[in-house]
Amino acid sequence: MTNNNSTPVLEMIHVEKHFGGVHAIDDFSVKIEHGKIHGLIGPNGAGKTTIFNNITGIYAPDAGQILFNGTDITGTPPHRIAQIGIGRTFQNIRLFANMSVIDNVIIASNMDAKYNLPGALLHSGQYKEDEKKLREKAIDLLSVVGLQDKLDERANSLPYGHQRKLEIARAMALNPKLLLLDEPAAGMNAEESVELANFVRFIRERFDITILMIEHHMDVVTNLCDYCTVLNFGKTIAVGTPAEVKADPEVIRAYLGS
Amino acid sequence: MFFQQLITGISVGGIYALLATGYSLIYSLLDFSNWSHGEFAMIGAYTAIVFSTVVKAPFALAALAGVAGGALVSFLCERFAYRRIRRNGAPNMFLMIAAMGLSNVFQQASNLIFTGQYRSYPFQLPVSTVKVGSAYIGVLDVVSLLITAVVLMALIYMINKTQFGLNVRAIANNAGAAKVLGIKVDSNIAKVFLLAGSLAGVAGVLYGMKYNVFPTMGNVGLKAFIASVIGGLGSVPGAIVGAMLLGVLETFVSAYISSSLRDFFSFALLIVLLLVKPSGLFGVDVQDKA
Repeated sequence: MTNNNSTPVLEMIHVEKHFGGVHAIDDFSVKIEHGKIHGLIGPNGAGKTTIFNNITGIYAPDAGQILFNGTDITGTPPHRIAQIGIGRTFQNIRLFANMSVIDNVIIASNMDAKYNLPGALLHSGQYKEDEKKLREKAIDLLSVVGLQDKLDERANSLPYGHQRKLEIARAMALNPKLLLLDEPAAGMNAEESVELANFVRFIRERFDITILMIEHHMDVVTNLCDYCTVLNFGKTIAVGTPAEVKADPEVIRAYLGS
Repeated sequence: MFFQQLITGISVGGIYALLATGYSLIYSLLDFSNWSHGEFAMIGAYTAIVFSTVVKAPFALAALAGVAGGALVSFLCERFAYRRIRRNGAPNMFLMIAAMGLSNVFQQASNLIFTGQYRSYPFQLPVSTVKVGSAYIGVLDVVSLLITAVVLMALIYMINKTQFGLNVRAIANNAGAAKVLGIKVDSNIAKVFLLAGSLAGVAGVLYGMKYNVFPTMGNVGLKAFIASVIGGLGSVPGAIVGAMLLGVLETFVSAYISSSLRDFFSFALLIVLLLVKPSGLFGVDVQDKA
């Protein structure tokens, strides 16, 4: 799909989500243009992950609208969201821990397979061809993230940083147009964070993709994001470039805390 | 004698394996033991009885109807009971209790419909034996064994080599992640219940051929459950190995010690194994699964 640049890739309009009496997200709106990296920052419990869960269909919002490339996707189930091109990673990495690195990636692209069950049992030509294609595509993606030597290792045997990269490669296997990264630099030291920022930027260039990311490390946000939204207790308290929001007095009070 | 008992043991183990793999598949996806699973076998066996006596279908067709019957009831249990309980966000314990309830309902219902009478298929089953060396091998055992082997090989192939199998393994590993990667979790779970139910149907028909058909025959599910725990709950190859071990052990105990001590040895094996290796022979981790 070619995106004409006037339609934002993601637009959320007055989205609300409550759990019991708690307003996890209160009147949240955002517009993300094609090719941008947008940061979502705020203290713990500010509602950042809830926003991801609303976009990916884990929850349906209580009010408001979510548009993806101009199409209303509010309340669409998660597997459909994945199929139309929104990939995500999780704050606490959720790999298929007991499966091989390459299987982790093949799973995400397996809706490309066209063969049926009898075909598989009889090893039809379509089956072999599809399996070969899926494998090649997975190897390509793993080469991009530098894991091409680890194809048959178990996912949970990889070091932490590699698990993050594998999770991103797996999300990329969906051919997403929008990638949601939930604290990709969590648990990383300054040096690793810089490397991660470079990696995310590289992913954006390489796949011409739009990114929405939750991040706590201010240096990563400053380094990487074109715009960001700052949340506190479900409410948006500032929107702008990283430099602008860092200078915002309310942000300083709520989040930066100094 | 030894060889003969071994074949019988493996053949009995095969029937356990057809059920034990079902327990394992469902446990791996939903983290609960589906106590109504043995009844799917019983329903499969009765479906074949109805098709062969009332409809007067040829045996192959009646047997297939039995397999379909097991599959259908398994599917319906998931669709109208387990799925709703899952949707409510209830603890897994509720699923197990619902399964126990279903098990009872099915047993009592078949008692009402078919009475407690033992029934057999109205066909000349191959009850003869063939002489191999000095041993006499039951033809029925061999047929049962071959059918089981083919079915189990197809199952292992499906789990390990097809995209369906990959999806199922992914859901077992992490259903939340599978969802956001485009996998239809509910429809794959439904397919697994169809699959497990049809394996149970095969087991029911084979068991009915060997031991007749009666309302409480689903209690064989308990043996299969033990087998899947021995093999490591949630592991399909483990379930098969556990089932074979249990089948052979029971047959040898019956033959060389006493058939009344058979269950004593089965449960003793289970207890010893749980003490020595709580996760079972092929189990990965059991920390949060008990």
